[in-house]
Amino acid sequence: MPKFIPAGRDRQSFAGIREIVNIFKQGDFATRSSFLIMGFGCIKRKQYIKGLLYFLMQVAFIAYMLGFANQYLSKISTLGTEAMRREWSEARQIYVRTPGDNSMLILLFSVMSILLIIAFVFIWRANIRSCYKAQQYEKLGKLQPTFKAEIKTLLNERFHITMLTVPSLMIVAFTILPIIFMILIAFTNFDANHQPPGKLFTWVGFKNFTDVFWSDPLISNTFGKILGWTLIWAVFATFTNYFFGMILAIMINKKGVRLKKMWRTIFVITIAVPQFVSLMLMSQILHDQGPLNMLLQKWGFIESNIPFLTDITYARITVIIVNIWVGIPYTMLITSGILMNIPADLYESASIDGASPARMFFSITLPYMLFVTTPYLITSFVGNINNFNVIYLLTKGGPLVTDYYQAGKTDLLVTWLYKLTVDKQNYSLASTIGIFVFVICASLSLVVYNMSGSVKREEEFQ
Amino acid sequence: MKKLLSLMLVLGMLLSAGSALAETVTLKVWGSQDDQVMLQEMVEAFKAANPDKEYDVSFGVVGEGDAKTKYLEDPEEAADVFAFANDQLYDLLNADALYEVTINNDAIVEANVPSAIEAASSGDHLYAYPITADNGYFLYYDKSVISEEQVKTLDGILEACSDAGKKMFMDVSNGWYIASFFIGAGGELGLDENGKQTCDFNNEAGVAAGEAIKAFTAHEAFLTGDDSILTGGIGTTIAAGVSGTWNAEAIKEKLGENYAATKLPTFTCAGEQVQMASFAGFKLMGVNTMTEYPEEAMALADWLTNEENQLKRFKMRSIGPSNIKVMENEEVKADIALSALAEQSKFAVSQKDVLGNYWAPAEAFGTTMEAKDYSKDIQTLLDEMVAGITN
Repeated sequence: MPKFIPAGRDRQSFAGIREIVNIFKQGDFATRSSFLIMGFGCIKRKQYIKGLLYFLMQVAFIAYMLGFANQYLSKISTLGTEAMRREWSEARQIYVRTPGDNSMLILLFSVMSILLIIAFVFIWRANIRSCYKAQQYEKLGKLQPTFKAEIKTLLNERFHITMLTVPSLMIVAFTILPIIFMILIAFTNFDANHQPPGKLFTWVGFKNFTDVFWSDPLISNTFGKILGWTLIWAVFATFTNYFFGMILAIMINKKGVRLKKMWRTIFVITIAVPQFVSLMLMSQILHDQGPLNMLLQKWGFIESNIPFLTDITYARITVIIVNIWVGIPYTMLITSGILMNIPADLYESASIDGASPARMFFSITLPYMLFVTTPYLITSFVGNINNFNVIYLLTKGGPLVTDYYQAGKTDLLVTWLYKLTVDKQNYSLASTIGIFVFVICASLSLVVYNMSGSVKREEEFQ
Repeated sequence: MKKLLSLMLVLGMLLSAGSALAETVTLKVWGSQDDQVMLQEMVEAFKAANPDKEYDVSFGVVGEGDAKTKYLEDPEEAADVFAFANDQLYDLLNADALYEVTINNDAIVEANVPSAIEAASSGDHLYAYPITADNGYFLYYDKSVISEEQVKTLDGILEACSDAGKKMFMDVSNGWYIASFFIGAGGELGLDENGKQTCDFNNEAGVAAGEAIKAFTAHEAFLTGDDSILTGGIGTTIAAGVSGTWNAEAIKEKLGENYAATKLPTFTCAGEQVQMASFAGFKLMGVNTMTEYPEEAMALADWLTNEENQLKRFKMRSIGPSNIKVMENEEVKADIALSALAEQSKFAVSQKDVLGNYWAPAEAFGTTMEAKDYSKDIQTLLDEMVAGITN
């Protein structure tokens, strides 16, 4: 009997195809028929239930493709040719609507169908494999495993399949499908002037990408400047919180400070108030005619209002400071634990050697902290790039300026994206920007993470 | 036993089929939070007036300003009958969101003021039912501070306010109000043949208006903010303010005997006195093209905006009517705010040709002026603003 040799790991991508070809070469009539009629080989070898299940899946798949997917997949190249139609009905005295193509549904269901086709290919391969296996069993004169026995393996050696099927399906349906759908929207002209169901939208290739980079000066100028501010903001928001939180934790942690627990509790209590409530209150307090300005004026500290949220520079400083205020308790909590973990003998020997407190901080505390918290810093940096709450609830991205496209001076990419989708229905542009935000976040995280001590010198961690 | 069970099953099926025969018309209505009680009363009256059909009407809180946004999020889930501000008309028509009014339309055209009908139409086709004609702004002022002569010019008002140590309120960092200067100076917002926004606020007249805005915002008596600033401060720190009828009750209460309202003043534009214009906004009722019951939805929209219910709106919520007969009503005529609005409406332009892209750049210009950021000259700022509006 010719032995079936599985391909090496290095050529895994072709292994699947080669395996199928091999099976076709060595399969008998029943196995070969299973290429067209799924489950045929299984039924032939008396694995009735299994064979029937494969066959039913094939029937269901064909029915789905012809009955449902066909009408969408056939229009994927144009995303529809005729929008909702209106015809005058003399009897009803109204314009009766006949539903036409809906570009959004065509795109959505096409993506869904393509994913299903891919899934079906895997099922088809499994069908061929099990038919071939049955053929080999027959050749060797072994008893064919019963359906019951095969089901049982799902609880033992194939338990991982039982456990992971539902989560994987969920991830495909609720994460992968929407992501593919939204990425594809970046290549269309889905905006306020192309709104389904009244209007169709279609593919425009890389137009949105070139718009963002150079071909539309207003949009590319806005994108560049908002990107710049987003990075400045992310750096400041991340590191101010990190250092001030750490300093706070060190102060509370210092020997000789009494009521440590009380201080910590006081700061942590602020977490109990939902962040958006604090932020909206802050925005009211800092308003041009808000309580803070009124008080300062009444006490005679200032002559005219301080434009906390309406002047460009003030607004940018204000959002960073308010962010420190709402963010410090979290860093304090995280760093407190790590600080208590630093071996005290390190400090003792350092002080015997005559090191100053500053020297101790930079030579012992900070390296230790950075070693442990780099992954945390990366997540909080990425979180700050997408820090919607603080910006939108405080300034709504304002103050607006005339040389930005539908955006203001404190807008981050993510708040601009929000305005473009919710207020302007410019989904394609927003999707393009979303892709950029992802690329920036992903590459920054990967590079910094792989360079960090936490990864490189993992074994040194005590 | 089995027989009994099957008999019950058959009976149950028959019953459910029977109830499906007497068709229930399910409709959803969107209106603002403040209108909910009133809308429910109107719908109850509608049901009583149409006993031949079973109506199941539900309500959703979506204000006129948010209607378009909420509609476009999911047209099929949107209300069958919804109120919206007339500047959303083109965006809604773009999405084929509105049924053309083809039932009873002649009567509707006849019953409402022409400007309201114009605001609800595209070309010769009527696409919505006018609810109100009061979505505009004018001047509230304190009679004890500003004389009838002073109130005629912006300079006079500012002088009177300065002398009394008080402020004049206007939300210049808002596209809706700031347009008053540009349009007053002769600027135009329109649409080209492709339906794209056109705007000439950066021409010579526009720059003159921009300079006037600069002088106004730089004046010591100038005050900006949102509505709460005006209603909070009028009578004490504020002596005059530009706003609309929705603040009438609050301002009347604060000013008491000194309560007065009139058209907007003239402003000094390139050395001449020019009347401030305004946007005339209308609230409209539209019928969703996705509705299952277009005729019934149209009947309901018609009902909610008819003469009787426009009068009810005025009585319950002091909302100014678009119905000609209701406008002639003695009570409506006696309303100080509404008569000021009527006076201003001579200088008002329709907000219909203003698309969504207008607001942010206009607000940006106002914000820059309020912040007294003069790093760019007016011409540059206006060029940028117009580029943003027409992009």
